[in-house]
Amino acid sequence: MGRSRRGMGRYIDKRIPSTFKIQITSMVDMFVILLVFLLRSYSTSPVQITPSDDLTLPSSSSITAPEETLKMVVSKNGIFVDDKKIIEMKDGVIATSDVDENDTQFIRALYTELDEQAKKTRMIASKNTELEFDGKVLMQAERSLPYELLRKVMYTSMLAGYSDVKLAVILKD
Amino acid sequence: MRALKTRLDDATFDLNLAPMLDIIVSIIPMLLLSIVFVEITMIETPIPQAVEQAVAAANEKNKDLVQVRMAVAPDKSVQITILDRGATKEYNVAAAEKGVKADLDGLYSQVMNIKKEYPDVFRLELNPSDKVPLDEIVEVMDAVRTTRYVNGAKTKVSFVDSTTGKPVETDLLFPEIIFGNVGG
Repeated sequence: MGRSRRGMGRYIDKRIPSTFKIQITSMVDMFVILLVFLLRSYSTSPVQITPSDDLTLPSSSSITAPEETLKMVVSKNGIFVDDKKIIEMKDGVIATSDVDENDTQFIRALYTELDEQAKKTRMIASKNTELEFDGKVLMQAERSLPYELLRKVMYTSMLAGYSDVKLAVILKD
Repeated sequence: MRALKTRLDDATFDLNLAPMLDIIVSIIPMLLLSIVFVEITMIETPIPQAVEQAVAAANEKNKDLVQVRMAVAPDKSVQITILDRGATKEYNVAAAEKGVKADLDGLYSQVMNIKKEYPDVFRLELNPSDKVPLDEIVEVMDAVRTTRYVNGAKTKVSFVDSTTGKPVETDLLFPEIIFGNVGG
């Protein structure tokens, strides 16, 4: 009996190291599963949408990936070009002072900004042959906005040289 | 026997997972920042390469001959007008619920019938009314852009390629949708 207790003591001495070890295998398992899920959801899309109450994109079955173009946001609160607020709106209604008196479809401030952007792109294109001004603009518009407003925006874009307006949408399941 | 057991115990080893864990922990915050739960796409035409030239050739041929125009009224009814070499044909798709919801199934059936008559026309001019909201315009565009799935496969429509004279099968109905009333 005494001999076997001595044997057990030696066995315990041999098996239990003096330093403490954390069992991390299950944690690594969990992280690997998480990693796979995150890699599946990874996106390098040029379109970044910040969720807000005044901008919900319409759903569509279109599967075309968005292109890297000039971005225009038409929300209930205003019109933005490349994250810069150009027109202030209230509940999707544009103030009459922002619209041209002679041409009610023409939004002057938007035209000025888009024209500036077009000039900038053309100037860069004149120096860099790999770049060309193609007149493309990606419009992220609030789904409930009436066509009346979008028509004004598209008309103004067209006059500024951005005649290829693309609509950003959420992919329908 | 005890010596053998001791040797076997010595042969086992613990894999050091700490460096792997370090890497994973570094990658996870980066991936978390770039994660997307909603996929953003763009409304444009997904034309397959083989069909693209045939569609372009057909569009060029029919540009001045056949025009398909579609108007979405405030009561959600859809009027389709076809200008075929001077003759005009008109079709009306009543709203599923007047002023509330367009009849997308009825519209699709009507568009399929038009497509059978004009298989090589791919351009459509859309003229929505001022009060129609964007999401309804997008729904109408979706209904006329491509064919629907039937028994797990997309319905195919065929047309003759004007350049080669061979029949081409496609699931495209009217992929080139332009807003006709933007200019006024």
